[in-house]
Formats: sequence, structure tokens, C-alpha cells
Amino acid sequence: MGGPSELHSKVLSSGLCTGCGACTSICPYLNAVEGRAVILEFCGKEEGRCYTFCPRTEVDLQYLRERIFETGEGDPSLGFYSSVLKARAGREGIRKRAQYGGTVSSLLLYALKKGKVDSIILTGSPDGIYPEPRIAKTEEEVLSCTGSRYLLSPSVGEVVRLLRKGEGGRIAFVGTPCQVLALRKLQVYEREWEVSRIKLVIGLFCTWALSHKAGEFLMAKLRGRKVRKFDIPPPPANLFVAETENGRIEFPLEEIRSFIPPSCRICFDMTAELADLSVGMVEGEEGWNTVILRSAGGIEFFEEARREGEVETAPLEGERLEHLKEASLTKRKRSAEEREKLGASYLRGG
Amino acid sequence: MGRIGVDQPGRRMLLSGNEAIARGALEAGVQVCSGYPGNPASEVVEALLEVSRDFDLYVEWSTNEMVALEVAGAAAATGLRSLTAMKNLGVDVCSDFLMTVNLSGTKGGFVLVTGDDPAAHSTTTELDTRNYARMADVPLLEPSTPQEAKEMTKWAFELSEELGLICMVRSVTRLSHSRGVVELGVLSRERRKPEFTAPPPWTSGSSTFACMFHDMLHQKMKTASEKFETSPFNKYEGPEHPNLLLITSGPSYTYSAEAVELLGLQDSVGILKLGTTWPLPEELLFKHLRLAQEVLFVEEIDPFLEQNVKMLAAEFASRGLKPPKFYGKKSGHLPAVGELNTELVLRALSGLTGVSYSPRPSEYASRAEELVGGYVPGRSMAFCPGCPHRASFWVMKRALKWEGREAVVTGDIGCYSMGLLPTGFSVEQTLHCMGAGIGTACGFGKLERFGFDKPVVSVSGDSTFYHACIPALINAKWNSSNLLHVVLDNSTTGMTGHQPHPGSGITASGEPSPPIRVEELCKGIGVEVKVCDPFEVDEATKTFYEMLKERGPRVLVFRHPCPLTESEKKKRKPRVYVDQEKCIGEECGCMAFCSRVLGCPANIWDYSKGKAKIDEVLCTGCGLCAKLCPAGAIVVEEEK
Repeated sequence: MGGPSELHSKVLSSGLCTGCGACTSICPYLNAVEGRAVILEFCGKEEGRCYTFCPRTEVDLQYLRERIFETGEGDPSLGFYSSVLKARAGREGIRKRAQYGGTVSSLLLYALKKGKVDSIILTGSPDGIYPEPRIAKTEEEVLSCTGSRYLLSPSVGEVVRLLRKGEGGRIAFVGTPCQVLALRKLQVYEREWEVSRIKLVIGLFCTWALSHKAGEFLMAKLRGRKVRKFDIPPPPANLFVAETENGRIEFPLEEIRSFIPPSCRICFDMTAELADLSVGMVEGEEGWNTVILRSAGGIEFFEEARREGEVETAPLEGERLEHLKEASLTKRKRSAEEREKLGASYLRGG
Repeated sequence: MGRIGVDQPGRRMLLSGNEAIARGALEAGVQVCSGYPGNPASEVVEALLEVSRDFDLYVEWSTNEMVALEVAGAAAATGLRSLTAMKNLGVDVCSDFLMTVNLSGTKGGFVLVTGDDPAAHSTTTELDTRNYARMADVPLLEPSTPQEAKEMTKWAFELSEELGLICMVRSVTRLSHSRGVVELGVLSRERRKPEFTAPPPWTSGSSTFACMFHDMLHQKMKTASEKFETSPFNKYEGPEHPNLLLITSGPSYTYSAEAVELLGLQDSVGILKLGTTWPLPEELLFKHLRLAQEVLFVEEIDPFLEQNVKMLAAEFASRGLKPPKFYGKKSGHLPAVGELNTELVLRALSGLTGVSYSPRPSEYASRAEELVGGYVPGRSMAFCPGCPHRASFWVMKRALKWEGREAVVTGDIGCYSMGLLPTGFSVEQTLHCMGAGIGTACGFGKLERFGFDKPVVSVSGDSTFYHACIPALINAKWNSSNLLHVVLDNSTTGMTGHQPHPGSGITASGEPSPPIRVEELCKGIGVEVKVCDPFEVDEATKTFYEMLKERGPRVLVFRHPCPLTESEKKKRKPRVYVDQEKCIGEECGCMAFCSRVLGCPANIWDYSKGKAKIDEVLCTGCGLCAKLCPAGAIVVEEEK
């Protein structure tokens, strides 16, 4: 365990901050600025939530799994799960607005409709580039956040704020693997706040995100055009694509890769393995999502939504599952190498 | 009517040194007074302001001391009696004019009152303005008591008029701000009509003329010196042949007299108290030096008398003077810095005469502890409760941390000089004199070509901005210096007692005058400018942060009135209290942020509960702590 000085020396000064917001909204001495946490002043405490909740400090993956899934076991590539399948929104309208199959939006809308949750923490963006955390309570608010964000957002901070203030009722959260990890650490280690209000955690597949500096780069690429959707078509395309209101803009993936922060390079988790449900694209097939069913609560909720027709499912082809596992394993291996280089052996997990 | 205008000659009143100076000016028939606020001299102008209507005086706060001296100088050139008062560093500012108006001379009595600040209680240096009298070759008077302050000021006008030369009266904090019994004299009701007739021109000349005027100045000073030989402001007390002679001036005289009396040395130690200290009364000194074997100089700040008298003693050697032994600051018998007091003089005297003296009874320390208790907490300097500067510095601190490169932040003179201290989160890194913040920032802001990769921020108050920052801002624009200048606009001259300034909308005497807005001036210069309220912390931080990243000269005005101004004090304040249920106290994430880091004197700690608390007597209801409390535990209850 540690406090702000360890957070500074082990995480912030090495550029490992993911900007998840877990520490910054607890504390008057920490601010979230452009995708990273900044320490204004050292409070002097030797131990603190800032260090405990951080997804880039020690992770006892086995303990976290035990607490969330009631078992320490897990697949070496995908973590603990019960099944993997394909899914998409039952409603065509949602599919049209979604990045891939609209599964996440459908599940969230169903949760709201059935009164299972009161507030959903999502990441929106006023300009399609710079992200901002949002608290959605209506269908329209949920749908305004569809689409992938490539820049880091302090969304976990919004959960912290709601828990701390006793607001927001039952909470659902959607985020990247690092955000999910922070949220689960918070849920498991926090003693004072009512963490049982966190009812549903949906993780999004992620190979890497972009630092805030990429924002200026993308703005320049767009040249004032309004972006509808960013995407990375599957290999061997090697492209970064922006679909705008005035057509498509493409450029080599390499150009954007220089904006991948160190915090993504050491990340071991592609599929948000501590989420209740993890959702990503289906490589090579448009209009569908890959869904990993993990926790008992997550499975129950997903099955209910399927029964009600909110999501449609199909089996995931064996070859595709193997491919997913391979990709996930590759990320784990690279992460171990990167951590070795950094001398960050304290970062366990995976 | 102000107390200094009482028309009862012979009445004895308690007056401060500054009030006594103002009264002396009234008795001399002063008609014009100017100044710029600065400790310890401000109240001279304020006392005259109070009686300005009844005595038909023109009194102004000028934008700076240079202008103030020029305003008074012009009035004096038309034959009116005029006075300017300023603090020590003000003389630096006006020295350009002083070094020429000494040559051009005056028609009416023209008096410059300077307030020196030994120990620099409220100043950035212990500057000794007596050196200016020597440098400018103008007569200098040093009062020791309020009574003398009144008499000397009155006489300074007569002397100035007789010589046709500006005269200086030097006070110090301890005299300016302490009160003593003053016997009032007759008030002058003479009202002169200004006349400015040319030729001769009012100028210091140049080339041959400058030399001619210089020579005339020397003649004037010779006359002054002759007058000083018999001045009643110089006096000797003690035996005819003292073993030890104290040569002293100003309040140091009173410490000397008290010390001699306490040690019972009246029969062996003499005191030569000088009231006219430049030019020195040479013959008077010759007479007393000849009779003494040892001399101790007792004076505050520089060894002014010490050095000049030693020089004279060397001259007197040719007239048969066997130079006595000299003691003072150089010998280490008295400290070369800080204020003097009776105890310091006692120690020096005791060391030189061998007469022992115990300044305090032996049981003093134990008695004091008994009465006061063993622990008296220290207090660091802090912004007042509700001060907008606290918000401004927190905003700057945050944004500078966000930016990440450790910025250079240059400070300036005013309440916000405390930006160097923890109360301003130690945001500022430099402090010199009025205007030096932005002036030095102009320099830091041009070092990029040599690899200096830091944002440059300068800070000034509003009054300081008008006083000394505008030429530097023009310089920044002209030479495209990369700097962000922050004006902490609290709509008053806060530190010196809320005197109005060009942005206030009124003059010193309360006449309305359209406010000159900082942002309008900046626009006129062509500098980008924004205005925001520092209490809107998040918005202000974003604005500052965005401007920090830009290039070229920029100005950001943080505007919020000082809560201590009369109009602000009259406003009803909301009640602020801590919901101790919500306060997270010692729990992680805060650790007494409000009382420990934010440091508002009204944010206190409830030790019995381990929770925060508001001192509702001190709180002004600004709500800054409520905005920053991470637990949202501080409640602002608006007045209904």
C-alpha cells in the first residue's frame, strides 16, 4: 500500500497514469487534467485511496477475482468467464447509431427501462474527440454517448463523486479495462462508501487508447469537419479511419500509434476481465459485437435482456474465439515485456 | 472636522507623529498636498484630507510618488506652500524629479516628508532616505517626538521658502505611528494666489546652466548650514566634559535619554541630539567633539551621522581636534540593521561604561510563563478571511501544476506580496519593488532563444498596476515578451488602508472620477486581456490555464472587491458552517484541507470532534472553502 508520494513516483512520474479519475475526484490535492492526474500538493498521508484505487499500482488479480466472481480461477487469456458469444441490438434503430452491434446501448436502455439502475456512467464527447464523463439517466442521454472514444476520460471519478455524495442511486458503469480495474479495486477495497450501489459494470475491449495530445493531431486531420465515428478496420488494413459528415478520412495507423501512452503499453488486459460483461467488436463482421459473459449477476441480466428481445445473439465461431484469445494473450505478453523494461515488477496481474 | 484642525492655540492634544506633521503643515499654511499611500507615511496625507474642505486645501492621492512630488513641486513653484508624503521606497520612485527640482528651486515652501521603516515592518527594504538628502543636497530635519514633528514641519516650510529649496523631513515608523502630547500652535489662514511667471524658467538647466544651478544649490546649502548652527532643534544635555558623548537623532534620542537616566550616567555621559542632520551643523559638532573622549552614535538604519561626523573629525584635525574614539554600528556596539530601542542602547552604554544593568528582573521569564502559559503559538502571515487573493493564488497554483513546467512567477508590492508565503501557496518566487514583477517578467519572457522553457507569469495589484506596471506592459508588447500578467484587482489600495486609485471611480477627496479600467488600458496598448472572478474557481482556473499556454504578452484580471472596504463590510453576509456529519475529518483525501492548506483564518479545527469548523465571527461568507471542500461538507446559507 502507499500514498500520494508513491503514486507520484511509481505512476505519475513514469507516465503510467491512465486518467481514469479514480483518485482525482476523491481529493482536493489531485486534479484530472487532459487525461492525467496532477498532484497539486502532497497531503502527507502515507496511505491513501489515491494509491489503492489506481489501476496502475499493485493488482492482486486473484484476490479481486475471488471477491467478484467467487473464484480465483481464470482463463490465461480472457480471465474468468462463462461463455463468449455474438450479440447485437434487438432494435434496428439502435444498431444504426452504434459503433458495432449496439449491444451495450441496448443493455443499458433495458436496465433503465426495468428500473434496475438509476444512473449510468458513460463517456461522451462534445466534439467527437475530447472525451468527458457523463451521467446518463434517460434513453436519449445513453444514446448520445454511443461510439468509441479513443482518448482517456476520468469517468471513474464520476462514480466516486456519486458514492461520496450519496447521490445517483444504483449505478451502472461502462468503461475500458483500466477504468473497470480501478472501479473494481474501489469496490473491493473501499470500506466507507456504499459500493454495493454499483450494480452493473460493462467492460469494453481495448488494445490501446490515445493520450490527450492526439486530440490536436486529430483536430488537424479533420480540418473542421464534424466526426461521426472513428474506427480501426481489422488487419491488414493498418488504417485509422474517421467517418465525417463530409466523407471518410483515412491515414496510416502508425501516425496515431505515437500517441499511445506508456500506461497502455504496460496494460495486460484487453477484454476488461473484471467486468460483469465485456463487449467488443467481431473482427471481420460488421453489425455484431463479441460479448464475454462473466459474473453471475451479469449473466442473469444478459439472459433477461435476451429473453425480452432487447439483444439478439448468435454463437461465436470457434476460429474467432481462438483469434480473440490469441490477441488477448499477445497483449499480456507485451505488457510483461514493457513492465520488465520499466522495472515495474510490482505491477502484477496477468 | 479632522482632529488636526482644532483651532485652540496652546491646547495640548495627543497626536501621532503623522498627525503632528500634518498639523505643522496646517500651521504653516499649506495649500497643496499629494502622496502615494505607503507605510508609515500614509496618515500624513489622510489627516490633511480630513481637513481639506475646512482649510480649502487641495489634497490628492497621485498614481505614484514621482507624480506626487511633481504635483506638489508645481504648486510650490507658483508660490503656494505644498507638501508631499511618502514611504522610504517612494523616494526611490520620485528621485528623478528630486534630483532636478533641487536645482530648479522653489518659490513657496516645498516639503518632502519621508517615512522610513527600520526593521522593515511593512516594507521590502530598510532604505534610509537620509542618504537622498545628501545626494540631492537638500536640507534634512529629523524629529524625535510628535511635538518636534509638528514644529519641524512648520519650520521646514519657512526654511524652504527662505532658501528657495525643497526641504526633507524624515520620520520613522515608531514616530509616525506612536502618539504623544503636542501643544498646538496658531493655525495659518493665509491663502496665497498662485503665480507662475516666466522668465526665469523653472528648470535644472543643462550644461553651463546646470553647473550654475549646482553652484547656487551649494550656496543655499551653505546658508542652511549656518542656520543649523543655532537651530533650537539641536541641543546638548550632560556635563561640560563628558567621558562619553552620544550623538543621536530622531526617536533614537529618546532611547538614549532613557538609557542614560536608567544607568544614572547623567554626570558622565552627554547627549548631542541633532534635529538638523543635513547639512550638519559643523561648528556645533566641533565644539562637542573637542570636549569628548569617546563618542557613540545612536541612530536608526544607516550609519549616516556616524560616517559624516567621522569625515568632519578628519577635517577638524587640522584645527587641533584630537579625534575621540568612535563607536556605533561599525564597531558593533549597536546593530547595523533593525530598529533600535532603549534596551539596545542600554547594552551599548553598559559595555562602554562598565556600569552593569539587568534589563529584566531575574524572575521575569518564570513570571511570564506563569501568566501567559508555556506555549504561545506562532502565527504566520496570512490573507484576511474572505480575501479574493487566496482564491486567485489557489487558481494560479492549480493551473500552474496542470501546466506542469515549473513556471516563473514574479511578484510585486501589495497584500499579494504574501503570495511568496504558504498563505499564497508559495506561488510567487520574486519580490522587489513596485512594478518590478512585470518588469523582470519582460526579461524572463525573452530568454526562450537561450533554451529557457518555462512559462512566465507576473502578478500585481490594481493600484500597483497604475503606479508602475504600465510602462513595463508597453515594453512587453513592444518587444513581444512572452508573459502572462495577472492583475489582482480588489478595487482598492488594500494594504495601506483602502485609499482610492484611478480604477476606483473617486478621487482622494471623494469627488467622482470615471474609473480607468485595467482592461481598457490593455486594449489600448493592444494586449490581449480577459477578466474573471477568482471565486469562480473552476472557470478562473481554466481561463488562466488556457492563457498560460498562449504566447506573447497577455493580461488576466482577477476582479473581486476586498471584503474590508466600507461598502463590502456593509453587505449582509451569508452564514457558513460545517456539516460535521459530512466532514471527512482525518479520513483520507482531505486531511484538513480547509484549515491546513487553504489557510483562511476563519477555517478552524474542532479538536474535540476531529472535524472542521468555521469561526463565524471571522468568516466573511465568501464561500471559497465551500467550493473547494472535497466532501461538500461546508454549507453556505444565503441571507433571506
